[in-house]
Amino acid sequence: MIARTTLFLWIAVWTVLALLWAPLVPALAETTRVLYFHIPAAWISVLALAWSMGHSLAYLKRRRLEHDDQASAAAELGLVFCIGATISGSLWAKAMWGSYWNWDPRETSIFFVLLIYGAYLALRSSIEGDERRARLSAVYSAAAFVTVPFLMFIVPRIYFSLHPDPIINTGGKIQMDPRIRISFFALLIGFTGLFFWMLSLRVRVLRVARRFEAVDAERAGSAA
Amino acid sequence: MPTRESSFAAAWAILRKECRSEWRTRYGLNSALLFAVTTLTAVSFAVGRMGDRTDVLAALLWVVILFAALASLAHTFVREVEGHTLTLLRLTAAATPIAVGKLLFNLLFLGVLELVTVPLFLILMGAPPPHWGLFLGVLALGSAALATAATLVGAVIAQTRGRGALFAGVSLPLLLPLLAAAVSATRAQWSGNPVTFELRLLAAYTLALLAASLLLYDHLWED
Amino acid sequence: MAAIRIEARAVAHRFAPGRGLQPVTFVHDGAGCVAVLGTNGAGKSTLLRMIAGLLRPTSGVLEIRVDGADVPMPARRRVVGYASPELAFYDEFTVGENLAFVADARGMDGPAAAVRDALDRVGLLERIDDRVAALSSGMKQRLRLAFALLHRPPLLLLDEPGSHLDDVGRAVTEAIVAEHRRTGLVLLATNEPRERELADSRIELRGGLGHPA
Repeated sequence: MIARTTLFLWIAVWTVLALLWAPLVPALAETTRVLYFHIPAAWISVLALAWSMGHSLAYLKRRRLEHDDQASAAAELGLVFCIGATISGSLWAKAMWGSYWNWDPRETSIFFVLLIYGAYLALRSSIEGDERRARLSAVYSAAAFVTVPFLMFIVPRIYFSLHPDPIINTGGKIQMDPRIRISFFALLIGFTGLFFWMLSLRVRVLRVARRFEAVDAERAGSAA
Repeated sequence: MPTRESSFAAAWAILRKECRSEWRTRYGLNSALLFAVTTLTAVSFAVGRMGDRTDVLAALLWVVILFAALASLAHTFVREVEGHTLTLLRLTAAATPIAVGKLLFNLLFLGVLELVTVPLFLILMGAPPPHWGLFLGVLALGSAALATAATLVGAVIAQTRGRGALFAGVSLPLLLPLLAAAVSATRAQWSGNPVTFELRLLAAYTLALLAASLLLYDHLWED
Repeated sequence: MAAIRIEARAVAHRFAPGRGLQPVTFVHDGAGCVAVLGTNGAGKSTLLRMIAGLLRPTSGVLEIRVDGADVPMPARRRVVGYASPELAFYDEFTVGENLAFVADARGMDGPAAAVRDALDRVGLLERIDDRVAALSSGMKQRLRLAFALLHRPPLLLLDEPGSHLDDVGRAVTEAIVAEHRRTGLVLLATNEPRERELADSRIELRGGLGHPA
């Protein structure tokens, strides 16, 4: 209860601060504000993917359905964040450079992540049987995990990047006004917390649903 | 555990069975060839000769190959599931030799498909003469990567309700890196640029996916 | 032949909540014939599939030992001969070609002789060059039996062996069971009283339609 309230307050306060207190990045002008939401969304999409794949591998090793719950819940949430990141990124690109989509490395990478989520969830929805669904989607997840690094290698070679790297280096140091930096990291932490909170809710729902089904089935069996 | 010899024997027996089965029924190869030629005709008709645009040619070549592959490479597993012969297969051989046998078959299948499609493509599209060594190298490595990915995905989706409809969508993420590398390399060999990076990437991709597949196939058929 | 021991400790298979094989525990040592009984949906076929290595239990431990050595799931196909109504063969191949493929893939010595021998035992030898698509359902059932016997396994798993069979076919099956049980183990999953009588012990499964779990 307390953790949840703290989380919401944290996000609310830092959103206001980010929008009103932190200055604009000169080169980005009014579009600065997108970075507080777009970059965390992209970061969470990748985090969720890694989380999902990790639990898929754990399922294959240990065969416990709890791992499958985590993998599927993380994928569902990751998809939502990924769609958010893709759309916000596209709008940002249109505002900054005049075109919605250019297949530059960052755009290509986030789209690739979107495709993996889509394929994984489509696969899951077409399999019956809890154990089989868990197993087959875990195999696919493991295969996708292998191909991700290769995309990271090949894409930069092919396309030039329109991403504002010289201005905001998201990989390493962030050279800009400390107010921007603080707000950004605060919101990054806040949204990551939001993701894990939503994930825990979803996993709990899955677990309870399964227990309901088991009780229902037992009741149906003994009533017959 | 099966000895090395029997694993090879099993994979080899399965490869021979696939070839014989394909030869007897032939609908897999026929439909794939028809599909490839239709796609090629549509492209050539719409776009005409593009001898000067080697970047577009490279992309179109791999799109045609990809489409033909997506339309046909899942069949080896889907046929087993739909013909209910998967149980027979699983009682006869372990998962890995089964998959290796089918992978080799898919490789052969893709080779035959390309033998017809690629020259047709080069002629119809008015492509400039390629550097044959490099061109065939890219084709070979790209096809190996394609077959490896498609065999694994085919094995997975064969057990779903969607089957063929799912195959294209589910394999696409896995195929993107290889598609990008293959197109880039094909374009590079036409413009005289080096292709070593892409070739190395394709080889590494194939090996990585193959290694992962060999570990994963054991988990595929447990019911 | 080989000494067989099957031990199941609370072995179950959960397909979906409340459905599947309910936990079952039993031990069987040595040769003979065991009937696996239960109503539809109780999990007779599921249990046989698990023993054959085709299916992994979702809980419990299932151990098969041949001559004292444990046979893990991936190796079961070597020691088990399995025949079940949903076992299908390649329609485009002949009877002989189907079994020859199996013998080759198993790495058997003298595959051609083994194929002829198995077909002879089930009375299908004269149909060796007929395509499977041309066989009647009774003949296909006999082919399944031949497939199970091909590699001379110590453990024979027969799921509803009498299905589709006429009197001659049933007699053939009973003769094979009688011969096999002397030196090896036969498990029969069945609802037929006549087949039940063949066994000298039984495993009864709870659950399924008509039985409270």
